[in-house]
Amino acid sequence: MSEGAAPSGGSTPSVRFVYDASLAAYELAPEHPFRPERLELTRTLLEATGALDREAYADVGPLTERELARVHATRYIDAVKRASRGDAGDEAYAFGLGTGDNPVFPNMHEAVLRVCAATVSAVELVASGAATRAVNLAGGLHHAMHAKASGFCVYNDLALGIRRAVDAHGLRVAYLDLDVHHGDGVQWLFYDTPDVMTIGLHESGRYLFPGTGHTYETGRGPGRGLAVNMPLEPFTEDASFLEAFETVVPRALEAFRPDLIVLQAGADMHRDDPLADLSVSLAAMGASYRRVVELSEALTGGRLVATGGGGYDPYRTVPRAWSLLWAAVAGVTLPERVPETWRERWAGSSALPLPETMVDDPSSWPPVPRRATVSSHNRAVAARLMEVLETIWAERGTDAEATRHDDREGPG
Amino acid sequence: MLVQDIMTRQVVAIGPDMPIKDVNALMEQRNIRHFPILESGGSGPARLTGEAPDDAVDRLVGIVSDRDLRLVGAEHPMAPAGVAAVDPVRRVMVSPVLTAHPLDPIEETAKTLREHKIGAMPVMDGDRLVGIVTGIDMLDALVRMSGVYEAATRLEVEVPNRPGALASLLAAIAERKHNVSSVMTSRADAESVTFVLRVSTVDGRRLAHHLRDAGFVVLWPIDKTPTS
Ligand SMILES: [Zn+2]
Repeated sequence: MSEGAAPSGGSTPSVRFVYDASLAAYELAPEHPFRPERLELTRTLLEATGALDREAYADVGPLTERELARVHATRYIDAVKRASRGDAGDEAYAFGLGTGDNPVFPNMHEAVLRVCAATVSAVELVASGAATRAVNLAGGLHHAMHAKASGFCVYNDLALGIRRAVDAHGLRVAYLDLDVHHGDGVQWLFYDTPDVMTIGLHESGRYLFPGTGHTYETGRGPGRGLAVNMPLEPFTEDASFLEAFETVVPRALEAFRPDLIVLQAGADMHRDDPLADLSVSLAAMGASYRRVVELSEALTGGRLVATGGGGYDPYRTVPRAWSLLWAAVAGVTLPERVPETWRERWAGSSALPLPETMVDDPSSWPPVPRRATVSSHNRAVAARLMEVLETIWAERGTDAEATRHDDREGPG
Repeated sequence: MLVQDIMTRQVVAIGPDMPIKDVNALMEQRNIRHFPILESGGSGPARLTGEAPDDAVDRLVGIVSDRDLRLVGAEHPMAPAGVAAVDPVRRVMVSPVLTAHPLDPIEETAKTLREHKIGAMPVMDGDRLVGIVTGIDMLDALVRMSGVYEAATRLEVEVPNRPGALASLLAAIAERKHNVSSVMTSRADAESVTFVLRVSTVDGRRLAHHLRDAGFVVLWPIDKTPTS
């Protein structure tokens, strides 16, 4: 039984894993750092540990172009479809298509629409009450803009999922982004929306793509105070990351009182991610996922949708990180060791030796530069951020109170 | 970028005979810290440039800022002597006025603002007041020039200080099909120049790797080795 996963006690809520093989068709280019193999690597690791049952699987439902157009400009959708068919004109470039980051590939529109449909299905399962929590590891395309592909993302599955929850179910949605890159696409799409709060912890935009996610980006108009950005210094380690999380996330959620949490769990915050500069370990990433589940239990009746996202160390880091995510969401405990069957199956594909344990040991890593400065800087930024937000939230609270008062006194 | 690209075109101007207390109230009410003063305005109400047909003959005689009004009537060694809040603003206005031209490059204007430690300059086309430009406008322009509104990765590259060095760097980036949203100089001496570029890619480290292979000195992002 040493390799088997066991429920961690209590009644297991209904938790679904939205999946089918078509989701792996979102492959931007053979040499591209965004690897669809991550899905199969994670799924097989979860099955090898016994953490993922057949009954947990859920099908990917349909997503109409009409619904897609609620988030993306139709002229952009048309450009993606044309590029997808192989006749990307010169105008494709203005839409961010055909670049080094977002090369055009055959059937791109269909492939990314499928990824979006999977996230919308996950939201639908949870919002309708058919499931308590649901996961789409293929999702998390948080950089896609209203009319532009950006940062490996063509359509924004997260925004589509959030729109479904808000428009079809009348839910208030808190979007929490734990990818190392700022979730700019989702933030700008809901920047002035009162029903959606976006919260992100990410490496500071001063050092990393997309260059935004500063503390002063706090939302606009009816969305003022509903964009929450906690930029972290390069080389941030576990304790400082978790401290910043605790300072910002629980309080922001409490102030907003969402009905549903949508979590983007990009795995690129990890020390070994080749694209970014944080020094976070799998243990801390797992702890943050478990904390999100706990917060959803306390604040949203458990309603939680989680997606994947970035993560560019596909063999060693991503499958373990997302297994920890699934384990947190499904309420199961993973074994300490990576099952031998899984290691044998994938050993030939990975350039580096596959890990033996499910979490890593940050004490064996080379010390990071400026450790004390990094933590004290993060602490100061988090404190200042909360000071500013508390003021805005207090104003919002007063406004909301006044509005309620008006409603009561106004004509019926 | 030129002054005409960033200036405020609708300027609230006042006359020299408006009482100081009214100017104070106007600053508060309109949330404006600088008023150009036009001769023909007399003691009448403030108006926007472009409203009156005789703008062309309106002579700019001074400018007043919140700093000039702050100490009026106060018991303070720096307070203007013998001036009261009921007096006309011409008693405290600054004259002659440093002005900018719509076609001045903004870096020149920024330099003038800093050298004279002033917060704003009226923009004059000949004798006509056509706008006003402030320190905040300069900051906004700088932010736009740095390209931070485009999703991008920041790259810092040192190249030899000689013709064609930047061109070859940009060519190497174009080869990887990445767009450059801004280029700024962060440091320069006789031998070398450090450029800060904003490039539309998530994978700045891979790009840095290619640039290093091509012989460029990339200062950020730094290289990284995975843990074993
Ligand atoms: Zn990312």
